[in-house]
Amino acid sequence: MSGSIPVIPTDLPADPASREAMAGEYVLGTLDARTAARVAAVLLGDHGWREAVAAWEERLAPLAALARTEAPPANVWDRIEERIAPAEAPRLKRERRWTWVWRLWALAASLGVMAVIGYLVLSRDDAPRLMTVLVSDRNSPGVLAEVDRRGNLRLTLVPAALGRQLQAPSGKSLQVWTLVQGQQAPANAGVLPYEPGKLVVIPASRVSAVAGMLIQITVEPDGGSPTGRPTGPVLLIGRLTMAAPQS
Amino acid sequence: MFATDTDLKDLLGKVARGDQAALRAIYVRQSTRLYGIAMTLLRDRTLASDVLQAAFLKIWERAHLFDPERTSAETWLLGIVRHVALEAARQRGREAQADDLPAGDTATDQRAMEALLTSAAGRKMLEGLDRLDGRAREAVVLGYVHGLSHGELAARLNVAQATGRSLVRRTLLALREGLA
Repeated sequence: MSGSIPVIPTDLPADPASREAMAGEYVLGTLDARTAARVAAVLLGDHGWREAVAAWEERLAPLAALARTEAPPANVWDRIEERIAPAEAPRLKRERRWTWVWRLWALAASLGVMAVIGYLVLSRDDAPRLMTVLVSDRNSPGVLAEVDRRGNLRLTLVPAALGRQLQAPSGKSLQVWTLVQGQQAPANAGVLPYEPGKLVVIPASRVSAVAGMLIQITVEPDGGSPTGRPTGPVLLIGRLTMAAPQS
Repeated sequence: MFATDTDLKDLLGKVARGDQAALRAIYVRQSTRLYGIAMTLLRDRTLASDVLQAAFLKIWERAHLFDPERTSAETWLLGIVRHVALEAARQRGREAQADDLPAGDTATDQRAMEALLTSAAGRKMLEGLDRLDGRAREAVVLGYVHGLSHGELAARLNVAQATGRSLVRRTLLALREGLA
């Protein structure tokens, strides 16, 4: 079953009987932290271990009926929603002359990063039509932007590359803007949650994504730009391109 | 509960496409069950709330990985919540509040086990558990449902840790045979 799996250095048992028992202990939850972490690591690369754990999860699942049921505190959903839902930006209060400049480095989105992330994304069934990687002014990737089949704009943090959470400075908000080629003014696509999770989805009703469209994230006053135009520094920027030849 | 799982499956499909209302619908249907599972494992309201929140963010991020051919939606959701809860338990060092644990063998007495009668899989599990001796049955339930580690199980069963662990391993394999 696992003949072609690369060997992962580990001191976990290799013989099927011991593996089976330890996979069971892992799902049961009785393993100490260190051993459990080693099992979790081996699961990433070893098909045999994954199958064994999946079988135990299926086998033991009925036991969960023995836990009591209890309603969670009322604020838990609010906390979840805060981290996934982009907020509406405040309505335009006054017109102000637009002085904001799209940066040239938008065009320099690293092709290497695109290739790696593109590969990961395109190996999925729900491969997006359009995508890009939003990069900083130092060209380091921060957010993977994908447009799914329904036109929703999905922003996924690239944590390894960014090395930190995408979080607004204290008292500020991060706001997403789009600019279709040939248009003068960027359109507001919403304010990011203050402490976003790894994935924020901006519904198709707020963005009309087309190839060549610029996407950028700027630092704005708390709650979003009061002018309806970007006013603060650009944190990340990128241009949507076709993801792959369409099937 | 087939209708429920079909609903959940469809909702997970929508969540995979970024539908927040679908995530909310899953929360409305499942949060009482899932929070109860986390609470029974952790016996700590604040921690269980954090676990439920973290688990739903994971569901949001990973819904596209759910494969209805491989597992049911309920089992998939359960796996995520238990994984996050066990991580949390290990991080705090499992300082189990023993006084909140079921006393004596009440974790496995007949009344407690009645909850298994509501589904076919549960009834099969009950038959499997019935073939085990009392101590082995207790080890499985206290581990899986109440989150006891090997060390805590051994203390509870009044045996050396190594003895407790080999009891757990033997029990798991016997249970597997019993459920096959």
